[in-house]
Amino acid sequence: MFSKRGLNLFSRLSYITGTIQQSSTAASPVTNVAQIVEAMDEAGVKEPKPLYLDVQATSPMDPRVVDAMLPYMINDFGNPHSRTHAYGWESEKAVEKAREQVAALIGADPREIIFTSGATESNNVAIKGVAHFYKASGKNHVITTQTEHKCVLDSSRHLETEGYQVTYLPVQKNGIIDLKELENTITKQTAVVSIMAVNNEIGVRQPLKEIGEICRKKGTFFHTDAAQAVGKIPIDVNDSKIDLLSISGHKIYGPKGIGALYVRRRPRVRIEAQMSGGGQERGMRSGTLPTPLIVGLGEACAIAKREREYDYEHVSKLAKRLLDGINSKLQNVIRNGDPDFTYPGCVNLSFAYIEGESLLMALKNIALSSGSACTSASLEPSYVLRAIGADEDLAHSSIRFGIGRFTTEEEIDYTVEKCVKEAQRLRDMSPLWEMVQEGIDLKTIKWTQH
Amino acid sequence: MLLRRVLQSTFRAIANRSAPRNFSYTPSRFGGEYEWQDPKSEDEIVNITYVTRDGTEKKIKGKVGDNVMYLAHRYDIEVEGACEASLACCTCHVYVDEEYFDKLPEPKEEEEDMLDLAPVLKPNSRLSCQIILTKELEGIKVTLPRITRNFYVDGHVPEPH
Repeated sequence: MFSKRGLNLFSRLSYITGTIQQSSTAASPVTNVAQIVEAMDEAGVKEPKPLYLDVQATSPMDPRVVDAMLPYMINDFGNPHSRTHAYGWESEKAVEKAREQVAALIGADPREIIFTSGATESNNVAIKGVAHFYKASGKNHVITTQTEHKCVLDSSRHLETEGYQVTYLPVQKNGIIDLKELENTITKQTAVVSIMAVNNEIGVRQPLKEIGEICRKKGTFFHTDAAQAVGKIPIDVNDSKIDLLSISGHKIYGPKGIGALYVRRRPRVRIEAQMSGGGQERGMRSGTLPTPLIVGLGEACAIAKREREYDYEHVSKLAKRLLDGINSKLQNVIRNGDPDFTYPGCVNLSFAYIEGESLLMALKNIALSSGSACTSASLEPSYVLRAIGADEDLAHSSIRFGIGRFTTEEEIDYTVEKCVKEAQRLRDMSPLWEMVQEGIDLKTIKWTQH
Repeated sequence: MLLRRVLQSTFRAIANRSAPRNFSYTPSRFGGEYEWQDPKSEDEIVNITYVTRDGTEKKIKGKVGDNVMYLAHRYDIEVEGACEASLACCTCHVYVDEEYFDKLPEPKEEEEDMLDLAPVLKPNSRLSCQIILTKELEGIKVTLPRITRNFYVDGHVPEPH
């Protein structure tokens, strides 16, 4: 029952719900998730917390990260900018150690790491900051892609209202950009190219090294939103010629409310600060640094650096188990995005002839998502799936499975079992499925508008 | 034998303590004194224009080798220079006219680091304490930014140090 990481699933669920005590005299050990749910029902737990398979939205904090943070919340509470006493010195030392840990993960110099409140702020500072600074030099053009995270698209749209030209590059069917098209789009006026490393909805990896080469050759800065990539796939800012890179703490088993922005020193990248104040963080991001959160981010990065290969193998194995399990029992399940050039921990599947929201509600024992957490309240189909050319009905039937460091085989098996069962039930209720079974091509039907 | 060697090195170390030490010092030309000397000949003159915060242009006859920050101090132009050209602040920040910007030597990394801290930074920003006049810079124009790191809202103007 213990996973390789020694995290007993039953104990974890007991801890989460706070209601079930694991009895040392239990007649039989709990062996699978179904039994846990049953045990919860017997214990009178009305709404057990679901299994967590949504790590692209946020990841649980690694207990080792919490341990590293605690001293800086209690005893070592000094302001890291206080230069006249030991409290400040201790905090500053901890912050600088964390800066080194973050830098080491991406092959950067610690002086190139700027702490922010998260990847959203990092993306805003990078895109708006570079665009504003270099506008005086006649650079008023920004390039990004149609599948970027909302904060990148929104920052770009904001720049458009200020008179900047923005090109939103389309992606190919597999979710990857066309490098030739990128090269042809860059002009002498292009200030920055912003292309994410790993997509948060479909897990597709963009060819960072090739993009970096093109940008360096063309003399424009390359920013990548690496919130979903850092600590999960190998990234080296020098090897890939990345000039700016955004990091999020809570996507790598660290705390929420902390992130970082890598800003290259040679060749120098300048940005106009979006936050005015005491000039902390090389003048690029004023504000007192939150030592405990920074220590947490540093520790999360150090763990990720040590365990990335193991994590990748673990996640790959579970992703294969999930896909094999679902595909062997269900037909008409389409994986969105390139199946090879992808991060395996993000599995986006479209269950044809089923409404994704219905399936989500049917799988209430499992925390899943039908898209980005920022837009999951919208009934519009995912803009990422639209961009890769998914049919609207398939876009509406997609579910994202997020597999992470603490996901277990039992959780995957339970998910497969429930998913197949509920998908079949929903299809049995679906008139579309019935028509397909009868051999009717749905594309030939003329639907009337209400 | 070993004891003898240890004692010898110990005595040598003690003896060296009283030996004269080498002190490093900053040549006076970088301390602002050189800038108070007038050009010795027409060949030495380098004309420079300072654009002050209120937009006034001050035309100054500098000379080859003058430090742009210390030259400003001589003529009471509001360039603070809190760290006395030791690359530890950004209070002598100026904008260099595009025409002359590329004629300046590449900034050191330390200067770049200090420029990071300067408010209202622009692509043509430099620290004036790092600009030494040459004949090639004849006619150079530098503009003072609206504010520096040590700005005051009560009208106080920091004195050059």
